[in-house]
Amino acid sequence: MALLGADARRDMEIHRYPLIVYGLVPLLALVLQAWLPRPLGRYAWFDLPLVVTIYFALGRRSPIQGTLMGAAMGIFEDALSHRAIGVNGIAKTAVGFLAASVGIRIDVENFTIRLVLTFLLSLLSSALYLLVYSVLLGFNLEWSWLVQVYIAIGNSVIALILFPLLDRLQVRD
Amino acid sequence: MESFFVRYRNLLVLLAILLAQIVGLAVQVRRINSTGRSSLDPHDGPGVRLIRLWAEAIVSPFERGIHGSKLGIQDIWNDYFDLRNVRRQNQDLQQTIDRLRLEQASLLEDARQGQRLQSLLGFQEKYIYSTVAAQAIGSSGNLQSHVFYIDKGSLEGIKPDMAVITPDGIVGKVRDVFPHSAQVLAVNDQSSGAGVILTTTRIRGILRGNADGQLMIVGILADERIKPGETVLTAGGDLIFPRGLPVGVVEKVVRDPERDAFIDVMVKPAAHLDQLDEVLVITSLQPRFSDQEQKDIETSEEEKGSEAQAIKDQLKASQINAERLPGLTDPNAPPAVPTAGAAPSQPGQANPAEPTQQPPPKLLPTLHPDRFSPGAASTANNGADANSPVGTTSKPDSQTAQPAPQNGPGRNL
Repeated sequence: MALLGADARRDMEIHRYPLIVYGLVPLLALVLQAWLPRPLGRYAWFDLPLVVTIYFALGRRSPIQGTLMGAAMGIFEDALSHRAIGVNGIAKTAVGFLAASVGIRIDVENFTIRLVLTFLLSLLSSALYLLVYSVLLGFNLEWSWLVQVYIAIGNSVIALILFPLLDRLQVRD
Repeated sequence: MESFFVRYRNLLVLLAILLAQIVGLAVQVRRINSTGRSSLDPHDGPGVRLIRLWAEAIVSPFERGIHGSKLGIQDIWNDYFDLRNVRRQNQDLQQTIDRLRLEQASLLEDARQGQRLQSLLGFQEKYIYSTVAAQAIGSSGNLQSHVFYIDKGSLEGIKPDMAVITPDGIVGKVRDVFPHSAQVLAVNDQSSGAGVILTTTRIRGILRGNADGQLMIVGILADERIKPGETVLTAGGDLIFPRGLPVGVVEKVVRDPERDAFIDVMVKPAAHLDQLDEVLVITSLQPRFSDQEQKDIETSEEEKGSEAQAIKDQLKASQINAERLPGLTDPNAPPAVPTAGAAPSQPGQANPAEPTQQPPPKLLPTLHPDRFSPGAASTANNGADANSPVGTTSKPDSQTAQPAPQNGPGRNL
C-alpha cells in the first residue's frame, strides 16, 4: 500500500466522469435498491446507494463531495422508509467523508483494497445507523449483526463487479 | 480567519451537514410517550412529508415502468405460451366454485343467525364491504424498514390506517398516502402491531416483526398448550383488521429473552410477505354483506335449491321403482298394529316421510342374569322391599337368578 502525500495523490488520480454519470448512477442505485427487494425478499443483502457513495468518494477523493453524496443518498433512503429522516443520512454522510479521506492517502486502484474498504465501510455504516437510532434517538431496535455482515459481504461482491464497469465511464485525458 | 475556513473546509462542511440532520431528527422525534421514551411522531410534519413525497415521486415512475414491463412479459408468457393443462385447471376450478357455492349457502344460515344474535346483544360485527386491488411496485430498500409501495393512492380512495390483505392473509396497513401511490407498513416490521388470537387455545396477543423480519406474537404468558401448527387469526381489537382474517400458523415457541414468565410465539405468515404482487386494500367495513356478496349468496341459494330439487326427484324415482319391484314382505301377513302415538294413515297411501313402524326388538335372554338384568331389577327391588330394611342389599331371588332357557339362534353370548 503506497503512502503518498495527500495533495500529490489527489492531483494525480482524481477520477472524472461525464456529468450525466453523477446523476444517473446514483438515481439508478436508488431505484434498484427500492425495487429489487420485491423480487428478492429478505435476501436483499446489499445497499447499492452505499456502494455508489463509496465508489465516487474513493474515486473523486474529495471529502466535501463524498459528504454531500452520502448525505443525499442517505436522506433519500430515509425518505422512502417509514423511519425518521436523517438516520441513514448521518451514517452515509460520515462514510462518504471517511471514504474520500482514505482515498486521498492510500492507493485505491487495487481491487483488494477496494473490496476490503467496501466491507469495512459497510459495517461502519451499519454501526452508525444503530448508534444514531438507539443512542441518539433512544428508540428500541432489534438488531441482527449477522444480517449486517451479510449486507457487507453483498456490497463487496457488488463492488467487485460494479467498480470496473464504472471505471470505464471515466473521462480520460 | 480565511485560512481557517480554507484549511478546515472539509471538516466544517461535514459538521454542518451532520448538525443539520441532527436538528432535523430532533424536530421529528420531539414527542415523549407514556413510558418515558422518545418516539417518532406517527404523523409526518409538512417538511418531512414533502421530502417523502419528492423521493416517492422520483422513484415511483421508474418502479412503475419496471413493474409494468415485468407484468407485460409475464402476461405474454402466461397468456400465449404457458397454456398447458389450462383446460383441465379450468374444469377443476369450476368444480371448486360449485362446491364452495354450496358450502357458502349452507354456512349462510349460521351467518344470519350470528348476525341476529349480535344485533340482539348490541354487538356489531364488521364485514369487509369494499376493497381496492393494488399492485406492490416498490419497497423502502432497507431491511430495517419493512414498508412497500402500492400503485393506488388518495385519488383511488386510499386513506391511512386502512388494512391491506391478500386472499391468503393479512399483509399490513396503509401508513402514508400520496396522490397516486401509498406506503404500506408490513405486519413483519418491528414497529407494526396487530391484535391476534390463537384459534385452539383462544389466547390473545400482539403480532409484530423481529429484526429478521419474522412474525412473532409477544406478551404471552408461558403456556404449554400452544403447539406448532395452531392457526392464528386477527382478533379485531386493533381497529385496523376485521376479526377472523388468517394471519398464519404457529411455527415455534421461544422464551422471551427479557422476561422469564413470557414467551414469544413465532408465526409463519399465511401471506407471502416477501414476494407480494397484488394486494387488496380494505376501504370500507360495514355490518352487512356487500352487494357482490349478496349476489353470490343468491346464486348459491339458487344452486342449492336446484340441487335439493334434484335430490328430491331422485328419491321419488327410487320410491316408484321400489313400488314396482317385487317386495320382500308377505302380502298375506296381517297388517301391523299402529302404535298409540302414530297418526293413522290412509290405506294404500305411502308416506315416505314417515318410516314404517317396526315392532320393538325382543330382549335376548342373558346367560348370567343379576339384579341389573332387564326384568330382574323389579323382582329384586320387590324382594328388598319385602324382606330387608330400606337401603340394604338383598340377594337376588332364586327364581330370577336362574339362567334363562337358551332357545333360539340369537342367544346372548
